[in-house]
Amino acid sequence: MEFLIERLPQIINGFILTVEFTILGVLLGLLFGIILAIGDLYGGRALSSIIRGYVEFFRGSPIIIQLLIFFFTIPSLLHVIPNSFVVGALVFTLNSAAYQKGYIKGAMEAVFEDQMTAGLSIGLSKAQTIFYVILPQALRLVIPAWTNEFSSLTKSTPALLAIGVYELTSVAKGITADTFRPLETYAFVAVIYLVWISSVAKIADVLYEKVKIPGVEISV
Amino acid sequence: MKDTIMACQNLWKVYGKIVAVKDVSLRISEGEIKLIFGPSGSGKSTFLRCLAMLTPPTKGDIFLKGDRLTRSDVDLNKARARIGFVFQHIWLFRHLNALGNVELALRRVMKLTKDEARERAMQALREVKMEDWASHYPAQLSGGQQQRIGIARALARKPDIILLDEPTSALDPELTGEVIDTLRDLAKKGITMLIVSHEMPFAREVAEEMIFFDEGMIVETGPPERFFTNPDSERAKRFMARLIKRTRRD
Repeated sequence: MEFLIERLPQIINGFILTVEFTILGVLLGLLFGIILAIGDLYGGRALSSIIRGYVEFFRGSPIIIQLLIFFFTIPSLLHVIPNSFVVGALVFTLNSAAYQKGYIKGAMEAVFEDQMTAGLSIGLSKAQTIFYVILPQALRLVIPAWTNEFSSLTKSTPALLAIGVYELTSVAKGITADTFRPLETYAFVAVIYLVWISSVAKIADVLYEKVKIPGVEISV
Repeated sequence: MKDTIMACQNLWKVYGKIVAVKDVSLRISEGEIKLIFGPSGSGKSTFLRCLAMLTPPTKGDIFLKGDRLTRSDVDLNKARARIGFVFQHIWLFRHLNALGNVELALRRVMKLTKDEARERAMQALREVKMEDWASHYPAQLSGGQQQRIGIARALARKPDIILLDEPTSALDPELTGEVIDTLRDLAKKGITMLIVSHEMPFAREVAEEMIFFDEGMIVETGPPERFFTNPDSERAKRFMARLIKRTRRD
């Protein structure tokens, strides 16, 4: 196992990259997902079809293809030199937003009907009702789905190798190539993923309990 | 003569081929309490929602203290802020406690400071005798308590009028009493109210005028005594007979 300790700095670097892309993707994806959900619900038919097309693309194609398109195809058309960190973060954000939009929209629809009317009845505008009434309830409902999204996005990070980002799995591949010790290397890396994903899931569970509306029992 | 608070003229609401509200005109003066009743599906709720501009009417005019709410350039949010509305199914904001429910409009619509809003929300909660429950969430309260919060939420802005859509009909029978008591208190304070309700003893006690609504139209209006003794229209007669029979059985 000594070789793993020797390689620890490399592994940690890879892990940090994995974490960075996942967190950026999930958080920015949440913000963008909220905007997409609102656009789909209230933006009229044209905007709604554009958003649906967008979601189809990002949910219907492998993330590695999306990375390649944004790293090679689009920059070459625009004659710019891509930065792999920027492209990676962008694609992870856009991809995650496509999934999160679905969760958020569903949750908004679940609380929408009566709460919107009640909000309007006290003089709030539609936008204010969304902001102060609908979203605070919908986002609470989204937390469990959000944990899934986090875990699935983490597991998509190895695709980043395609644009030259050496995250955790790529580092492990490199170590295996040098040392011919795949068993220990991959097992160790698998444990890192497992601990990371389950810790975040645990945090989300605690958050879910903490923000639960008193007296409301929702089983998900 | 007292000032007219709310009036509507030749109001229509049509959904496709269904005429929900048919040429209804109505006037409510300051401090007056009018009660609308009639068979279910007769368009009472739709009519009330039109008045509150929650569902814009298809045709006709609505006036609130002389301002025409049905003008195309009217700011609907501002108009709605001047009208209190109490829903049959209560519809409190589930993620806010009682105080938060009452405070929200004071903070975000009337733009009061935090302290002013709190003060006024607590005042409204006192008026419905719910001040001790301020930090409870809707799901922790009984239906009757929730509806009292719903009334406080409508009351806190000091609206020109409060419209109540069957405020007790979704409640268990033993919980209607506390809501009726609350409404009775408001009536004593001279708050202008238009109430859709079938609580006949209450109607007899507080309403200046009762309005019998059927098939989207006002069939008959008059003082409660007339409805209880001898309504003019055959339809009202039959409906009252059924209502009174049902009340006795209870």
